[in-house]
Amino acid sequence: MRRPPKEEPQEELTTSAPEDWATGVPAVAHALEYSLEQTTVPRVATTLLTMNQVDGIDCPGCAWADPSPGHRHRNEYCENGAKHINDEATSRRITADFFRSHPVSDLAQRSDLWLNQQGRLTEPMVKRAGSDHYEPISWHEAFGLMASELTSLDSPDEAVFYTSGRASNEAAFVLQLLARVFGTNNLPDCSNMCHESSGFALHETLGTGKGTVSLHDIHHADLIFLVGQNPGTNHPRQLSALEQAKLNGARVIAVNTLPEAGLLRFKNPQKPRGVVGRGVEIADQFLHIRSGGDLALFQGLNRMLLEEEDARPGTVLDHDFIRSHTSGFEEFSRHARTIAWEDVLTATGLTRQEIETTRDEVLRSKRVVVCWAMGITQQKHGVPTIREIVNFLLLRGNLGRAGTGASPVRGHSNVQGDRTMGVWEQMPDSFLDALRQEFGFEPPRAHGLDSVRAIRAMREGGIKFFLSLAGNFVTAAPDSTVTEEAMRRCRLTAHISTKLNRSHAICGETALILPTLGRTERDIQTSGEQFVTVENSMSEVHTSYGRLKPASKLLLSEVAILCRLARRALDGKADIPWNRFEEDYGAIRHRISHIIPGFHDFNRRVARPGGIRLPNPVNEGVFATATGKAHFTRNAWQMSRAPEGHLVLQTLRSHDQWNTIPYTRNDRYRGIQGSRRVVLVNPQDIAELDLADGQAVDLVSVWSDDVERRAGGFVVVPYPTTRGCAAAYYPETQVLVPLDSVADISNQPTSKGIVVRLEPVEAKTGSAHAAEDGAVR
Amino acid sequence: MSAIEETLEVGVPVSTAYNQWTQFKSFPRFMSAVTKVEQVRPAVTRWSIGYGPVRGEFAAEIWEQRPDSCLAWRSLGGRPAHGGEVSFDSAPSDRTVVTVRMTITTPGLAGLLTDVSGVVHRVVRRELGNFKEFIEGLGQEVGAWRGSIHNGHVQPVEPEPPRSHVPCWPVG
Repeated sequence: MRRPPKEEPQEELTTSAPEDWATGVPAVAHALEYSLEQTTVPRVATTLLTMNQVDGIDCPGCAWADPSPGHRHRNEYCENGAKHINDEATSRRITADFFRSHPVSDLAQRSDLWLNQQGRLTEPMVKRAGSDHYEPISWHEAFGLMASELTSLDSPDEAVFYTSGRASNEAAFVLQLLARVFGTNNLPDCSNMCHESSGFALHETLGTGKGTVSLHDIHHADLIFLVGQNPGTNHPRQLSALEQAKLNGARVIAVNTLPEAGLLRFKNPQKPRGVVGRGVEIADQFLHIRSGGDLALFQGLNRMLLEEEDARPGTVLDHDFIRSHTSGFEEFSRHARTIAWEDVLTATGLTRQEIETTRDEVLRSKRVVVCWAMGITQQKHGVPTIREIVNFLLLRGNLGRAGTGASPVRGHSNVQGDRTMGVWEQMPDSFLDALRQEFGFEPPRAHGLDSVRAIRAMREGGIKFFLSLAGNFVTAAPDSTVTEEAMRRCRLTAHISTKLNRSHAICGETALILPTLGRTERDIQTSGEQFVTVENSMSEVHTSYGRLKPASKLLLSEVAILCRLARRALDGKADIPWNRFEEDYGAIRHRISHIIPGFHDFNRRVARPGGIRLPNPVNEGVFATATGKAHFTRNAWQMSRAPEGHLVLQTLRSHDQWNTIPYTRNDRYRGIQGSRRVVLVNPQDIAELDLADGQAVDLVSVWSDDVERRAGGFVVVPYPTTRGCAAAYYPETQVLVPLDSVADISNQPTSKGIVVRLEPVEAKTGSAHAAEDGAVR
Repeated sequence: MSAIEETLEVGVPVSTAYNQWTQFKSFPRFMSAVTKVEQVRPAVTRWSIGYGPVRGEFAAEIWEQRPDSCLAWRSLGGRPAHGGEVSFDSAPSDRTVVTVRMTITTPGLAGLLTDVSGVVHRVVRRELGNFKEFIEGLGQEVGAWRGSIHNGHVQPVEPEPPRSHVPCWPVG
């Protein structure tokens, strides 16, 4: 184990050619190197060998599904999962001394990288109004402060309860119950910022907000689209599933603005061919698309399929399926034939021939799966794009059949489960009625605030109390300057956290840090050792058992913190056994089994190896829409064009990063070392914009409100991005995303498709580092 | 590719024989070569089999199914590839003729060197006998799934079968 850094690491930017393959032996080496910097060999062995095993720790990383019990490797994790779990299992500790030498104003100047590297939080801390220091506080007093703030509010809607996708089902259920008994539906979550567009589009067209595929479908598909996603970094275990599919004869088409290493070739380090051989080619066709052109691509493809059916009637479309299971085909079909080819080619930046090649791949394939992630959902027209993908799948009956389906690939381990548990600001009456019947209180019916609306309300002074169940809201949210000002207007902010992050430094008048157990740690309550449950991207609900000794004796579990807060703040409101819930999480699951459809007999069924697979109605032949059928939709779009001298920017993660937290400033696959303040630009654009390789620039975004949003201290790096499209790291560029720039229908912030100009600045010695440490944002 | 056909008359009505055949998870109770069947969803099952020293697993898709009439399956991935149809025809005196037609494709050199059809044929014959013994002994099915499947798409018999009662609100 290495000691935490005292100061921000000083590094120089170096670049090399991007990799054309992912994983392999270097991934194993990097995972172990980072893990052993954080903690000891026995703890690393415990985390890695129990990770994603049937009775082990569910990786707190991405939500990709595990193979069936009996089919898992001894090492069932990826490089980033290993880094992530040992980032939590770290032996580094933050004590009261740390806060004495680092006032809040100092912490606010630090990068999330540095804050995270300081280690685990060990005792509750408070920053009192007017103070610049966090100081220790007893749990009892901390709950008293929160309870007194909550009870003094003029309306329950002055409180916001935010959830991150790390939270377990049990904690999420208790949080939403607490909020609703208190009297508000203000339950924003990180889903609002990642796959909200998927939920809305799938719910409307298929009657379910969840993806329809399981690993079986991926393994047995003939053709898999990977659209706007980077599996090599963000869901590396997906590469194993893709490898299996390829070995079974599948073809893969990757659609992206960057030729990401993980889309090109995969060397599976668990297999000899991945260690010494070339590995497996992933993409058979790479569509180097313009940012935001995906809707046009699928419309173009759909038009081609319709025309192919005209030429060879009865051979292209699945008429039986369309007739018996869908509605709206005729209107869709008429609309699809009006798509102008020149618009499709302009929007996608592809050639007609490329799209025809894709069409031919589709025509040769009986089973098609489409996977997508934030390259789609964070576009302004994310919802229509996913609806068009559904149209594409419906045309040839590629839904509800083995080896087919829609796969929104989710990025945080329980982001789907938290929604299933009712963490949503717009829960339907059926759920609220069930809560009323079970617990005997009247839940609020008015919709609450999502993430964007919560920030607006905070900015306007309408929110006094902000509680965050895990997460790093300030950094994850768009329009960083606005979000930070908004957060500072709250009277009390409280964060249930394992580690320090920027949201503890950019806080309300009074602020609490409530340190909690990580998923890796044993959770012992008065009824005995507890486990929690989570739901992956493929609707499998299973257990996670902590294995390590907790980072401190004073840590409380997330469930315990919420139950104790509820007892103090909601005294007398509703007859809910908060004590019992804290003692035995089985009591929470028992109540969940009464309320949430599909969770009957939850305690018994989830204890079985592999847990519960929630059926997807689409695979049962059920479309739970108003008409009982899947809907074809007509989707219009506007050509998004950056004005002359501008580029369309997308945010992305580096390979050494988990959500808002970078582990280092390196991005191995893209050949970037030593700095994250880089903007990746096509060499021809660099020339056209009269810029140069290595030039220092500020990124300035353009938006209709004419407010200048600037991210300073960036360096131009030539990269094979699509012409006119640039990329830079999240969250450093969140400052450029206007709060009001949201996806239609889903209200999801558009961290893709941001129009920016690159303003050359005089390169100053050390300026990049000043920016890295958070002073320039 | 080799083809197998095996027929057996069982002493129960068509609906009883058919209903029992839809209860795949119960197959290990009476079939000697089947050790476990997982019903992933109505049209997808995963089979663990053991015959002597041979152990294997495969996933199968049911692509056609008509109540009291027939079902057709094909394996997903795996070697050797197989597929076929089980049909149920009523015979006099409330009896049923169950017919299994199956094709097996062993690709490559293994296919040239071995002929697995003889072994498979013997297994199918024996398992049909096991089925007959089981269903005649019970006299009634242990359960039933009455939906149908066409071209791999499920058509449930009721608008919302119980299994599809799961959270349907948007998931971000």
